[in-house]
Amino acid sequence: MKRALVLLCAALLLLAAAKKAPRFNASLPTVGTRFGTLPLGKGRAQTEAACYACHSADLLLQQRLTEKQWTAAVEKMIRWGAEVKDADKPVVIAYLAKNFGPENKFVPRKTRPIGY
Amino acid sequence: MLQMNGYAVNAETPLELLTDYLTPNELFFVRSHWIPRTPNLSRWRLTVDGEVKTPVSLSLADLRKLPVTEVTCVLQCAGNGRALYTPVLPGVQWRYGAVGNARWRGVRVRDVLQLAGVKDSAKHLHLFGSDDPPRKVPPFHRSVELAKAMDDAILAYEMNGVKLPAEHGAPLRLVVPGWAGDHWMKWLVRLSPQAESQRGFYMETAYRYPLQPGAAGVAFKPEEMSPVTELFVKSNVTTAPKKAKAGTTYDIRGFAFSGAPDIAKVEVSDDDGATWNEAQLDARHSPYAWRLWSYRWTPRAAGTARVMVRATDSRDRVQPRDATWNQSGYLYNAWHTVDIEVTA
Ligand code: HEC
Repeated sequence: MKRALVLLCAALLLLAAAKKAPRFNASLPTVGTRFGTLPLGKGRAQTEAACYACHSADLLLQQRLTEKQWTAAVEKMIRWGAEVKDADKPVVIAYLAKNFGPENKFVPRKTRPIGY
Repeated sequence: MLQMNGYAVNAETPLELLTDYLTPNELFFVRSHWIPRTPNLSRWRLTVDGEVKTPVSLSLADLRKLPVTEVTCVLQCAGNGRALYTPVLPGVQWRYGAVGNARWRGVRVRDVLQLAGVKDSAKHLHLFGSDDPPRKVPPFHRSVELAKAMDDAILAYEMNGVKLPAEHGAPLRLVVPGWAGDHWMKWLVRLSPQAESQRGFYMETAYRYPLQPGAAGVAFKPEEMSPVTELFVKSNVTTAPKKAKAGTTYDIRGFAFSGAPDIAKVEVSDDDGATWNEAQLDARHSPYAWRLWSYRWTPRAAGTARVMVRATDSRDRVQPRDATWNQSGYLYNAWHTVDIEVTA
C-alpha cells in the first residue's frame, strides 16, 4: 500500500515535470548534445560539469584569455547560474587559463549547418 | 560551416564561400543566444501590446492577409570580426563570416502595428522571442527605435524564397535593413511599443559602441557609449589567388556593404594604401544589400604582395585602416588584407 502510494507520487511528480519542461526546437541541438571535447587535465571534469549545462566545449576551445579575463568570465557565469563549488573555482580557472590562454591556436571545426 | 558553439547554435560561413549575391540559406551564418521553444504553428500567435489603442493577437494566417513586402539586404552580427581585435576579447570568436545577404519576404512592421493603433507616446518597439534562457541568464530582450521600425523594418516569414528556417527564427523574425543583427529578433512572439527603450543586460551592457575612439584595451564607461545601430562601411575579399606570377593578371573578388543605402566605390591597393585602384561593381544592388565587386590584379614583382580593399558608401564614409577597439568587439571593419606569394 505504502509502496503503491510512493509510486503514485513519483508518477505524478514525473508528469508535472514533463508538463513544465519547455519543448525546445527539435531541429536544433539540445542541451548536453556532445560536441567536441575538452583537453585532458586537472580541472576538466569540474569544467565540463559546470559549463556544459548551457554551451558546448566549442565556446571554450576558441577563447584566448588571460587568467584575469578567465576569472571575470567564470564569475560572470556563476552570476548567470553556473554551479561551481567554491573549492573548484580556482581549479576551473587554472584549467581554462592553461588550455585557452593568449597562445591558444584555435581553428573552428567544419560542420554541416543545423537542419540540413 | 565553422562551428563556434554547438548549443545554442553559433556558426559562421567560411569567407571563401560568400561569393553569391544571395547567400544560400544552408551557408548563412547562425547566431543564437538560446534555444527557442518549438512553436505549434496552429496555435502560434504574435501578440502586439503596450502603448497601443487595442492589443491584438495575430496568427500566421492573419499576417499572410496583410500586403506582402520583400527586401534584399545584409544581415551582419554586431560581433562579426571580434576575433580580429587586439587585445583579445571574450565572446564568440567570429572572424569574417558572421554576415550574409538574403531576400527577406513578409509584412511591414508598420502595417502590423497599425492594426493595434500605436499611441504617440510610443518611441521604442520592444521585441520578445521564444528563446527564454535557463537559470539566471539574462533574457535576450531588445528594443529598436520605433521610427526605424515604422520606416522600413519587416517581419519576415520567408528567406530566399523558402519558409524561414528554424535556425533563422521560424516562424517569424524581424528584419532591420542597414542595422546590425542584434535588432533582428528571431522566433518572435511579442511586439510591444513603449515610451522607453528596453532595459536589461542586452540593452544596457551589451551592444553598445564608443562615441569616440579610445585607447585599445581600456574599457569605455557606459556614458561613453551608445547603442549599436547602423552597420559600418566594410568590404572583404572572398576570392584571390594564393600564389601568383608577376606580370600575369588575376581576378580578385569580394563583397561590400554599409548601413548607408548604397556602396559608392570599392578600391584595391597593393602598396599599403599609398595608391588605390577602383574595382568593378556588380550590377545587382538594392538599398542595404551587399555589392559584389571584382578587380583585375597584375602583380609587378616577385615577393609577398599584400592586397588590401576598402569601400566608400553613398554617404562618403570610407572604410578605415583600423577598427575602433571596444570591449565587446563590435562592428570590426578594418581594411581586409590578403597576402599573395608572387614569383618572377
Ligand atoms: C546558466 C547557463 C550557463 C552556464 C552554466 C555557463 N554559461 Fe557561459 N555563457 C552563457 C550564456 C547565455 C552566454 C552568452 C551566450 C551568447 O550570448 O551567445 C555565455 C557565454 C560564455 C562565454 C563567452 C563570453 C561572454 O561573456 O559572452 C564564455 C567564455 C563562457 N560563457 C564561459 C563559461 C564557462 C567557463 C562556464 C563554466 C564555468 C560557463 N560559461 C557556464 C551561459 C552559461
